Amino acid sequence: MFYKISVPAVADVEEIRVLEWHGDVGHHFNSGDLVVELETHKAIVEVRAGQPGVLRRILSAAGNWQQIGLPLALLSDDDGDALPDGPDAVTDLAVEFEIN
Amino acid sequence: MTVLEQKAALRSMMLIRAFEQALARRPDHGFQLLSSGEEAVAVGLCSVLGDQDQLLTGGRSIGPALARGLDPNRVMAELLGRSSGTNRGKGGRGHLADPTAGFFGAHAVVGGNISIAAGVALSMQLSAKEAVAVILFGDGAFGAGALHEVLNIAASWKLPLLFVCNNNQLSVSTPRSTALAPRNLSDIGLAFGIPAKTVDGMNVEVVAAAAREAIAPVRAGQGPAFLETISYRFASHSTTARETRSRVELEEIRARCPILRQTAALVAAGVMGEDEAAGLKREVDDVVAAAIAFSDASKYPDPTEALVDVW
Amino acid sequence: MSGKAQFATEKIFFREAIARAVREEMRDNPRVFVMGQDVGAFGGSYREFDGLFGEFGAARVRDMPVAEAAMVGIGVGAAAAGYRPLVSITYMDFMMLGFDPLINYGAKLRYKTGGQLTAPVVVKTTAGAKGQGVAHSQCIEAWLMSVPGLKVVAPSTAADAYGLLKAALREDGPVVFVDHKRLFPVAGEVPLAQAIVPIGKANIARSGTDLTITTHSFMTRVAMDAATLLQSKGISVEIVDLRTLAPLDIDTIAGSVKRTGALLTLEEGQVTCGVGVEVIARVHERLGPVPSARVGALPAPVSSNRVLELACLPDATRVAIAVRNLLNPVTASPRPVVSSGER
Repeated sequence: MFYKISVPAVADVEEIRVLEWHGDVGHHFNSGDLVVELETHKAIVEVRAGQPGVLRRILSAAGNWQQIGLPLALLSDDDGDALPDGPDAVTDLAVEFEIN
Repeated sequence: MTVLEQKAALRSMMLIRAFEQALARRPDHGFQLLSSGEEAVAVGLCSVLGDQDQLLTGGRSIGPALARGLDPNRVMAELLGRSSGTNRGKGGRGHLADPTAGFFGAHAVVGGNISIAAGVALSMQLSAKEAVAVILFGDGAFGAGALHEVLNIAASWKLPLLFVCNNNQLSVSTPRSTALAPRNLSDIGLAFGIPAKTVDGMNVEVVAAAAREAIAPVRAGQGPAFLETISYRFASHSTTARETRSRVELEEIRARCPILRQTAALVAAGVMGEDEAAGLKREVDDVVAAAIAFSDASKYPDPTEALVDVW
Repeated sequence: MSGKAQFATEKIFFREAIARAVREEMRDNPRVFVMGQDVGAFGGSYREFDGLFGEFGAARVRDMPVAEAAMVGIGVGAAAAGYRPLVSITYMDFMMLGFDPLINYGAKLRYKTGGQLTAPVVVKTTAGAKGQGVAHSQCIEAWLMSVPGLKVVAPSTAADAYGLLKAALREDGPVVFVDHKRLFPVAGEVPLAQAIVPIGKANIARSGTDLTITTHSFMTRVAMDAATLLQSKGISVEIVDLRTLAPLDIDTIAGSVKRTGALLTLEEGQVTCGVGVEVIARVHERLGPVPSARVGALPAPVSSNRVLELACLPDATRVAIAVRNLLNPVTASPRPVVSSGER
């Protein structure tokens, strides 16, 4: 099954800059692992996996910008599954985010 | 002070007195604040300043400007609104300035020049100049928030700033005792951890010695210091303000004249005769007459000057 | 050198545009320094001075106690003595405490000394309402526009914040640089190469044909949203982003109004003696009467109460309504009707 990570709805934020992906395509994230750091105008947001998953496609590379609510990456339970065409019909990955 | 310095101090005080009297006699004297009676403060203070130091004052600026060595011709011209004045006739007494001569300037807002002086001191600190900024203000400014804010920052940053509060004990009509809670204004130094002293402002040598003592640690980078001079002004606050003191009071005050005192002291010490004193008086009268003549021969600014140097 | 390289840009946060401008000027000129509350290790309330303390140290990035009168005065005095300070006043409301040294000394210094001294100081301050209450929400830039000797700039984009702040730090007299709380979440394209935005030049942020909106700061974004609403109704508005409030760029403003034939002024501050009424008066002096109206805040303090704050401030809907009201009666009227809006 495929999942997407989208930019979390942080208060008072319209868009973010992707700072750093903590794993390349193919990386297995466990629950609690830091997946990506995002920068808002005020702070750094740490997005952690709320469930295990394999990073399959990065939609917004480090240094790129993305709006709140829009997708950043695709993940799957296993690395064998064929990628879907786009992120549209994909479920949200469970995540926890922390603002520093 | 050496004998030469003592005589120079006397002459300087006489110049201020003669200058202000000549100015006050003119029908076009304008709105002036005079230093008569307070000459020892300006002269004693300026005697310890070097070429690199900067003096800033409030509105009672004529005495300090002359004591600092500004050209009497250009000061008179400024006071009489001529374009040959130090400020091209556009500042007047309230804003007299000649920064190249170490007189960064007067500012007519009570207490308004205190933070400016701290900025000048900061610039000296940042460029590691061995120079001091001196801010001269009256007891009238002592209650202003600006003083307390700046004392705090100057002490905190150890700015090379000397605060000189010339307490002539009156702010227009308000006696110091009704306006200010502290009995001894220099006690404020304690609150901010800076050296502070109160001295007699009617004795030029006492003022000079106190200023020398106060400025030394400031020059050495140890931070600001505070000096209070107790003085008396002979005239009312300004040329338009009504006098509030009785004739008897004023007679008693005039007996404390710093010029009479210094003259008597030098004569008594045998370093100057009465003739020499009279000679000094004639000298300064000549200087003042020349200043008046210079001003009268100078033009007023063209009305188009009103829009020059706005931006 | 290729033309493309000249216009290459990077997208950065508004606060980064400010930090970049200050950093470049501080590198270029050792006399530039920063003073304010929380500007040092903290990097500024909006992180707008991030990195400066680390690079330049405490002598050039100075934390101050809360004492705006002294802070502005010390900045003005240091400027008069040859330095180029940036004095940061976190909330524009508290600029009022610094008015005496800024206006009575700084703005008048060159004049009162007959040209002997001048005070190249930049007072940078953040205006605007964003839930912080009656004394932490004001836009009072209009109060400063009439001070001879004082320049006032107000960017609405990251690029203009960057360019105008650099320009301000190079001026020979005092400049007030006004940004806005609601501009900080905004990111924008800023030239990669060093660039100045000239003081005294407005920008046509959006071309249009039916009416000119003049505005500045955050309200420029509100105007753009209103323009989108109006476009769907077939109304084409031109938006002139003033960028500099003093001196006003009347050539650009009047040029626009001459083409469109109607003028709506928009500000977050009060319309009474506001930015807008000055623009309208000058346009009328230049062009004769044209249909005009002003939009601004309600004549009330702006509460931190969310409901009341929203009620007080102009938004895209209200601006669109005001535009439509101004353009009605439309066409047939033989003579232009001069109107001034109640708000």
